[in-house]
Amino acid sequence: MEPMSLTGNRPDEPPFESLMFNEEIQRLIALPPAPVGNASSFTAILELGPTQAMELLHWPEPSESSNPYVNSVDDGAVLFAPTSSANTGYGANCLAFSAGENGSSPGASSASSPKVKKEIVPYSASDWSTWTHPAVSDTAPESKVPGSTKRKVRDQLDKGSEKKKKNESSQDAEALPYVHVRARRGQATDSHSLAERARREKINARMKLLQELVPGCNMITGTALVLDEIINHVQSLQRQVELLSMKLAAVNPQIDFNLDSIFTPENASLSDGNFPVPMTWSDIQIGGSMEIYQQQGHFPSFQHSVWVKEEGSSFVMPEASHITSISSANGVPLDSRQLKMEM
Amino acid sequence: MKTRKIGADAQSSDISRTEVRWRSESSQRIYSVKLVEALQRAIQNSTPALSISAGSRAVRDVADRVLAMTAKGRTRWSRAILASRRRLSILRRHRKVKKSRASRINRRSKPLSAAAEDRTRRLPAVEKRIKVLSQLVPGCKGAPVTDLLEEAGDYIAALEMQIRSMITLTEIISGSNGERTG
Repeated sequence: MEPMSLTGNRPDEPPFESLMFNEEIQRLIALPPAPVGNASSFTAILELGPTQAMELLHWPEPSESSNPYVNSVDDGAVLFAPTSSANTGYGANCLAFSAGENGSSPGASSASSPKVKKEIVPYSASDWSTWTHPAVSDTAPESKVPGSTKRKVRDQLDKGSEKKKKNESSQDAEALPYVHVRARRGQATDSHSLAERARREKINARMKLLQELVPGCNMITGTALVLDEIINHVQSLQRQVELLSMKLAAVNPQIDFNLDSIFTPENASLSDGNFPVPMTWSDIQIGGSMEIYQQQGHFPSFQHSVWVKEEGSSFVMPEASHITSISSANGVPLDSRQLKMEM
Repeated sequence: MKTRKIGADAQSSDISRTEVRWRSESSQRIYSVKLVEALQRAIQNSTPALSISAGSRAVRDVADRVLAMTAKGRTRWSRAILASRRRLSILRRHRKVKKSRASRINRRSKPLSAAAEDRTRRLPAVEKRIKVLSQLVPGCKGAPVTDLLEEAGDYIAALEMQIRSMITLTEIISGSNGERTG
């Protein structure tokens, strides 16, 4: 994480905005542990997602940056703004965080923020102004007495937008290496449980991703069953690979060394995406793994001759007899004619 | 994940990255080409491997290795596949004996904090499945659950691509042979 001087580079390289944002965020994230001793308890106040981190970067620096910088940055901020709908509560958190974290005069930051916020459309100015002062006043005693006042601020903000924070936390908490989690009402607020809860949210997010990846997992609720499905899927995929490798081993001695002729029709057929699904193939191998074939695409259209040949060459295949029954299931043998001409 | 700082679209970028990497036609084509070359080399090297199981295992290893190379990246399973060549296979045989003896111990290292572990993860059911999954995905034995889940996602996508390209290859090769002789 290199501390970048934004002002120096900014006006020169507008195309590298996204890069700058990365570094800005890195710089910002590098800061909080330093000035504040107990990082977890401080950050626990805010439920800081990446969108808020973005705003954070922009708010405290309007004075130092030149105009083109602010404009370009605002475009970036506006980009991120639509992703998180309810931002007013977050905005206040950001300001409190930045005021305390930067160590600069809270007055300066709050004074400068109204200037910048006028340029950014999604955020309502009124919310900002109402929040700045109480937030600012809270942060000053906060650094002295971390325990009690933080809870006050936390409870304030908690009542304000509890639901929205719950929704956002699961999305954003997994992105940053420093997890910013809000303590929900009625839940323990010590650092251990916070960290564990953040971790749980990370895990749940990954589980959701996996659910989308594995077919047929969307309906299943419950971690154990979903994991069951995932395990079954992986096992079926591995079994398929083994079967296919057996087939390839049988076919191998007949590899044509004229690679060019092999690959031009392959490239053409791959890009066409014109493959019919072999239903019986999947039934043979593993019951119920048909979704895989639907995802993968289909066999090339010259399957007809292929399968007939398969019967002869793959003596090890128990399903060889089944496969020949597929031979009639195909359409245009265009590619086979192509191959004939090239061989 | 230190590289993903801007996580506004963390989830969607995660999926799209995996998808893009393993579902694109270009990656499949690259894999197929490399696979054919590797297979040809393997055939030339080991002509006496006439037994069916040995041959198929060789092909499978080649395919997995080429897949891991195509991954060329930061996934644990690809590194584990590339690292585990012959020297580790011997070790694995010894380890398998030891593993079978060691029973699955129910670990209760930390006392349950009241609000924290209100999820079902501490249930032995989920723990068992996590363990099974870690055994399935290569190179993820002692990995934390988050990493394991991410590796599993990438591994699944990669396996699907591998299957697709192997099918296409079988078709083409045997198809070309059929056309020539038939």
